Amino acid sequence: MEILHGLIGLVRSPVSSTLPQIGSRLYLTWGILWSFPEIRTHILVTSLVISWAITEIIRYSFFGMKEAFGFAPSWHLWLRYSTFLVLYPTGISSEVGLIYFALPYIKASEKYCFRMPNKWNFSFDYFYAAILALGIYVPGSPHLYHYMLGQRKRALSKSKKE
Amino acid sequence: MKVTLVSRSGREFINGGLELPDSATVADLQEAIYKRTKKFYPSRQRLTLPVPPGSKERPVVLNYKKSLKDYSDEKQNKLTVVFKDLGPQVSYSTLFFFEYLGPLILYPIFYYFPVYKFFGYGEDRVIHPVQTYAVYYWCFHYLKRITETFFVHRFSHATSPFSNVFRNCAYYWLFGSYIAYYVNHPLYTPVGDLQMKIGFGFGLVCQLSNLYCHIILKNLRNPDGSGGYQIPHGFLFNIVTCANYTTEIYQWLGFNIATQTVAGYVFLVVATSIMTNWALAKHRRLKKLFDGNEGRPKYPRRWVILPPFL
Repeated sequence: MEILHGLIGLVRSPVSSTLPQIGSRLYLTWGILWSFPEIRTHILVTSLVISWAITEIIRYSFFGMKEAFGFAPSWHLWLRYSTFLVLYPTGISSEVGLIYFALPYIKASEKYCFRMPNKWNFSFDYFYAAILALGIYVPGSPHLYHYMLGQRKRALSKSKKE
Repeated sequence: MKVTLVSRSGREFINGGLELPDSATVADLQEAIYKRTKKFYPSRQRLTLPVPPGSKERPVVLNYKKSLKDYSDEKQNKLTVVFKDLGPQVSYSTLFFFEYLGPLILYPIFYYFPVYKFFGYGEDRVIHPVQTYAVYYWCFHYLKRITETFFVHRFSHATSPFSNVFRNCAYYWLFGSYIAYYVNHPLYTPVGDLQMKIGFGFGLVCQLSNLYCHIILKNLRNPDGSGGYQIPHGFLFNIVTCANYTTEIYQWLGFNIATQTVAGYVFLVVATSIMTNWALAKHRRLKKLFDGNEGRPKYPRRWVILPPFL
């Protein structure tokens, strides 16, 4: 839904920053945690859930305040644009770590794999797709972090001017 | 004539400006800028006339052939020009050569060499006739493209930003390898004989049509490279603006009908969408240029790229 809102222009956020965010959430939740129960007991699940939860609580309460009262207190704005400095690294490391530790289970289970030979000469290997996903984090994480730093500068300097 | 050079933010780009003879051309100005700055060779410069602040008009780009007098203030004999650095440039011929070289070399590697043992498959494999025809068809296509790059195409811009090298090569090289992997796979399932013949036959006809389209486009432009846009006509251009893209898309369709891989069809869809974007822009540009006013011919009603859809 969030991606759709960005795509159709309902919100100003660019698709290039909402897509990886939502994509990674869905992928981790369904593609890794739900599909491979063995990984659910890993300690990184705790750090993942805590990072996501704190971020979302701050973010949505911020939107809620703005909708209900028309504004939000400056400490709230500060929280929204500062906690990511810690929570992005912890969240991203948890995501990457969980994908990495799930790899042996992915390979062994052959889940979501489509093999040759077939009429359409197509194959899909979930194991290699997971490795590709890990690869996307390499340029993706600095891009997102950089974007948030830019957002932070804009938001906090704008509130100072007011 | 005194030429003042400013950057887009309004700052003076060359302090004190440049002094050029009254009869100088824009090309002379470009040379002077290059001599002075030593870094910005002419193809890297984008020179425009200033637009009043708040104006929504697109700035006028200086044509390198015209004389400075065509743009300058007649009474005061001076000219203000806005400079933008386009970044390091690479010639289109170089760009095209490298992006086409990848598929030309990578695809046959999958056909001729036992690469699949690195993917965990055994060494023995049966080669189907369709796979052999496919490698010939593919290589013919990219050899044709390279030949056209050096002997047929007349580019409207001589250069392209250097960063495009990475982007374009990644696109061609990765897709080329992706398709080559599946078509030459030891577990490849060929289609029926008739389907293969129809696919390759149709594809070949389209490739030759595509070549003819390129020759027609080349002949629209003067050999001295003055570029410019004309209304294309002749052959399929009478009914489709971008008949060269049309034939290219159908040519890939032929290849895919014959080889039948998801990878190939994915490539077809992506390539089609890219070319459709280009075609829409070109069609719009031609319609705007040839609007029927002031003695210019009016652009005829035509399909943009893929009759009967668009």
